[in-house]
Amino acid sequence: MDPAFWAKAHGASTHLPLALAMCSWGFDAAGFVLISWPVARQFSVVGYWTMLVGAMGTVPAVVSGLMLTKGEMMGHDVLLFHHLFVWPAYALLVGLATWRWSVGVMAARRAFAGYLTVAFVAAGLLAGAGYWGGELLLGGT
Amino acid sequence: MIISTEVKALRAALLMMLLAMGGVSVLGQVLRERARMGSHEQPSTESWFSPAPIATPLDVAAGRKLFLQSCASCHAPDAHGDEGPDLHDLEISDRRIANVIKKGIKGEMPSFSRKLNDAQIAQLRAYLRSLGS
Repeated sequence: MDPAFWAKAHGASTHLPLALAMCSWGFDAAGFVLISWPVARQFSVVGYWTMLVGAMGTVPAVVSGLMLTKGEMMGHDVLLFHHLFVWPAYALLVGLATWRWSVGVMAARRAFAGYLTVAFVAAGLLAGAGYWGGELLLGGT
Repeated sequence: MIISTEVKALRAALLMMLLAMGGVSVLGQVLRERARMGSHEQPSTESWFSPAPIATPLDVAAGRKLFLQSCASCHAPDAHGDEGPDLHDLEISDRRIANVIKKGIKGEMPSFSRKLNDAQIAQLRAYLRSLGS
């Protein structure tokens, strides 16, 4: 097997959940703010599915990452920084997708405001994980 | 009053978060254990008979430069150890040193086979051999 297989697999699989989680937050926020617009529901539908697919996409990303580090969940230096963002983001994405799936496309407005706040934090954590992941690969080059 | 569907969904979400992190922890533990089991690979018997390389002062100087670039963050700039062990007075063979640098120690030290070529590993080894106790 190619010794860099898991590095390549991790690089290939991490961008889907990263992109979809951020898209999901954007569409949900648009649907929430533009509630009176006719397209608000469509925005929420896109936010719903992008969150669900993004959360499912975290599984290959996490598994390939663990294979790459041979089970090391923290590490040190840049790898530690990467993991400090990855694990909370992963847990939040799973939680957010479960909540969304249980509630459906539309939820009570106050509860949805809470969801959006947590989703914003998760998107920020994912961005941090992506940044430190990039530093792991490209830092110092 | 928040509708009970949202509250039930929140409970399900918290449960799934716990399960997800638990699953990751178990997988991580299994992979670390597997890595530990296979972390002491021996060199092939044919390689025992190849001649040992001769180091020059230039190799030692180049090796020191490589050490500071790639190894000092874990083994300390003076090689007396920090997160990684003290590398003075190593009581292992030259081939074992090269093997560890190339393959790493699973779960403990990364492999440098993609970063350093054989000549650079030989320079690094020459530097390590030059360190006193």
